[in-house]
Amino acid sequence: MNTETEPRPPRWADRLLERFVAPHLLEYLQGDLHEAFDRHVVQFGLARARRKYIREVIHCLTPFFYKRKSITPFPKPALSDMIQSYLTSARRNLVKHRLYSGINICGLALGIACALLIGLWVQNELSYDSYLPDAKDIYFVRLNSTNPNTGEIGTGGTTPGPLQEAIAKDVPEVAAVTKVNPWMEYLIKVGEKAAKEKGYYASDDFFNVFNLPVINGNPRKALAQTNQIVITRAIAEKYFSNGDALGKTLQLNNEKFYVVGATIENLPSNSTLKFGWVVNWKEQEQPWQKTWGNSGFLTYLRLKPNTTAAQADRNLKGIYPRYTGEKSYTQPILQPITDVYLYDDYKMGKPVGGKIEYVRVFSIVAAFILLIACINFMNLATARASTRAKEVGVRKAVGAFRSALIGQFLAESMLTTLLAGTMAIGLVWLVLPLFNDVFGKHLTLHFTDPALWIGVASLLLFTGFLAGSYPALILSALKPMQVLKGQLQSSGRPVFFRQALVVVQFSLSVFLIVGMLTVGKQMDYLRTKHLGLDRDNVVYIPLEGNVTQAEKMESFRQQIMRQPSVISATVTSMLPVNIQGTSGDLKWPGKDPALQTTVTAMSVGPDFIKTMNMQLVDGRDFRIGSAADSSSYLINEATAELMGEKDPVGKEITFWMGKGRVIGLIKNFHMNSLHQAITPLVLTYLPVNSSYMLVKTRAGQTENALAQLQKVSREFNPNYPFNYHFLDEEYENLHRSEQQVNTLVNYFGFLAILISCLGLFGLAAFTAQQRSKEIGVRKVLGASVSNIVGLLSSDFLKPVLIALVLASPLAWWALSSWLGTFAYSTNLTWWIFAVSGVAATSIALFTVSFQAVKAAMQNPVTSLRSE
Amino acid sequence: MKKTVLGELEELVLLVVAASADKVYGLPVLEQLQINTGRDFTISAVHTTLYRLEEKGFLSSSVGGATAERGGRRKRLFALTAAGGRALQEVQQMRNSLWEAIPEGKLKLLGL
Repeated sequence: MNTETEPRPPRWADRLLERFVAPHLLEYLQGDLHEAFDRHVVQFGLARARRKYIREVIHCLTPFFYKRKSITPFPKPALSDMIQSYLTSARRNLVKHRLYSGINICGLALGIACALLIGLWVQNELSYDSYLPDAKDIYFVRLNSTNPNTGEIGTGGTTPGPLQEAIAKDVPEVAAVTKVNPWMEYLIKVGEKAAKEKGYYASDDFFNVFNLPVINGNPRKALAQTNQIVITRAIAEKYFSNGDALGKTLQLNNEKFYVVGATIENLPSNSTLKFGWVVNWKEQEQPWQKTWGNSGFLTYLRLKPNTTAAQADRNLKGIYPRYTGEKSYTQPILQPITDVYLYDDYKMGKPVGGKIEYVRVFSIVAAFILLIACINFMNLATARASTRAKEVGVRKAVGAFRSALIGQFLAESMLTTLLAGTMAIGLVWLVLPLFNDVFGKHLTLHFTDPALWIGVASLLLFTGFLAGSYPALILSALKPMQVLKGQLQSSGRPVFFRQALVVVQFSLSVFLIVGMLTVGKQMDYLRTKHLGLDRDNVVYIPLEGNVTQAEKMESFRQQIMRQPSVISATVTSMLPVNIQGTSGDLKWPGKDPALQTTVTAMSVGPDFIKTMNMQLVDGRDFRIGSAADSSSYLINEATAELMGEKDPVGKEITFWMGKGRVIGLIKNFHMNSLHQAITPLVLTYLPVNSSYMLVKTRAGQTENALAQLQKVSREFNPNYPFNYHFLDEEYENLHRSEQQVNTLVNYFGFLAILISCLGLFGLAAFTAQQRSKEIGVRKVLGASVSNIVGLLSSDFLKPVLIALVLASPLAWWALSSWLGTFAYSTNLTWWIFAVSGVAATSIALFTVSFQAVKAAMQNPVTSLRSE
Repeated sequence: MKKTVLGELEELVLLVVAASADKVYGLPVLEQLQINTGRDFTISAVHTTLYRLEEKGFLSSSVGGATAERGGRRKRLFALTAAGGRALQEVQQMRNSLWEAIPEGKLKLLGL
């Protein structure tokens, strides 16, 4: 036969056909196709016949021809069929054991919701300032000052004015450096609209350091002009129609008019820079701001690309000796701007912590809660294992592989976690507004954000895997023969394992309870601690407009003091619960010239001691109009100690106002957050330098006092809205993050306990059900209800007690190190542990006994008659 | 048992098989169809229909001899079963009764 000339259909089409079509159909189909092809060759010629053949083959690519005939008489189900079967049995199991599935899913949902919420919070905390363009090149300048006597290094966040010029000149690695006076809140007025807005006075390079997104105008050029102002979108929209502000004028602080030179985008909520407007530094510059001795400003810089902070550090080291002209113990250091929010606590010149500790604490809490929820899931699943052992036996007997069973149980737990995850997202979505409200955050669930979905999905996969792994491995290992014979032992390893899990779970809960109590106690301590000054019933009014002149200020004060509801009033340059200024200017006769001293300093007006209700150890308060007081000083006990004077009143010292005498010795008081120890303090009499009027009102007459203050304020300062705050609020603000931690720990501690109890409840219910026959027999033989309750409860109490013993030392260690971050703190007492122990035990007992009593009260007939 | 419905192609194929004197395989059925209807069919459609009819019990099949033009492949030969004949009769009766229901002279009125 001549194969070369014989016409053939396309080879590939034949191959495709042979591959695709089921063997039992192929022969007849292909035969017909070939026969038809032969006839077509005769009829139409080779080319057309081949085309037709291809078309025919393509028409054969249908499911009908693909479906293979099963070879064995036994069906071999496809994977999809098995998955369907798994889903069915999972669904039936969930529905059949509604209570357990409900407990499982709710507990897990709560756990995942907590983890999600905390995750969002943590993500927000970690994201501070990362919105800034080129954030990695931007640094915040802090000052390390070494105490030559003790070798201790103190780190401050505020810097003196001239440092910025010095850095610009002497540090070649720096691309731009700016200083900011951030403490301003001024009245902005456009036509009728007027309100106070926070703003910065910043030196020229501000927008070169912070390359903030611009809406219109050129902020760099605008800031270089002393008559222009840069505002944010929010301010523009608030004061100008359509937010169209460029080129328009506004009045700042009822004084100067500024032209809006540029508008920039609003700063996000996760920014440590907080301002609505920026004006050139020179507009507020005063002579003392040009000295090296007085710190009070923030300095930021941007490094040139491809330079490191370490390179810049070398040049920064030389600045203080060069400019202050002495053997200096002060050195500027750099901190990446993205670390400023999280690491603001320095020890020995190195960042040791700050808010990052809370981030860590809550990450741990989230992990705890998730773990507790997972443990619940595992516990209930292992407990229920015995009821499903028969199913496993049957599945194995009809030929299920172990891997398939593992897959089944994992898939089931994934399904449950998926349900829980959906619930959790719903829960977070519901709770988020409340959470934001309590913590002053702007967290949102971005449903379009892939990171959220990836995060949730991996959390679910992880949880599902963790929760499902134990039952999957244990159940799948059961021997079908034994199971089907009913020889499954319900004691031994699984029970031990369950109890170990309960121990872990309750250890975590006890840990959280102890944490809750300790944090609460410390908060209470902060709230009620006598600071050495009386912050209750003190109202403060910022001094602005007319009353900033010395005479007006004094008559304003006098007028306020004349109000019946007012006890006393004084003026100060800073709030006495948060004094931020420091100075190295203190000198006294006989001071060792080599001794460097840094003291906290503030200027005040008359009646300061009286208004703040402080205790004078010796001497007197500043008096009104006393000419001599203008060069007199008040010091605290810490300063006296620094000077080595037992009896400092009447002694001569030199400070801001030159040579003068100490007229009073104040008992030490807290002038800062309680994280900081009390430092030496010098008070200067300089009323004109004041920014606040502090008014002590009579207890219970706050309403009256405010009304009267408003009247007086209107009279003296008609151009400014009356604006007041309470001093104790300011103090609370100082400890806000602790307060938030307190609230968070309370909520999450409660949730942790709730979830643990849910698990225990489920477990107890299950055990009671399993042992119903035993209980029946015992009752028939004469056991009392209390016997049985005791029997059932003691099983659960043992792990809880072990948990107590394990968790207490751990909690003690963790919390005493937390308390160690406070300079002044409450102590950990035994009763905290006692209370936590009793609480955990009684909660557990209550949960379990509910089920135990129910089981014990049951008529034994119902449980025994089935056999 | 539910009544088996015959599709149009099924009916045609069944008729072709019924009309042939001997057992037939796919290709002649296809050719007969094309000759009688003037329409084009694919081999795959004819095969699918034949197997469906077999499944329904209207056809029976057996394996027939191979020829050289088929590359030595065997044929699957189909024959009408009693059930298939009955199904055809039913269809015809149904058609007839529908025909009879047409009023007399109606088609004439339409010029047919």
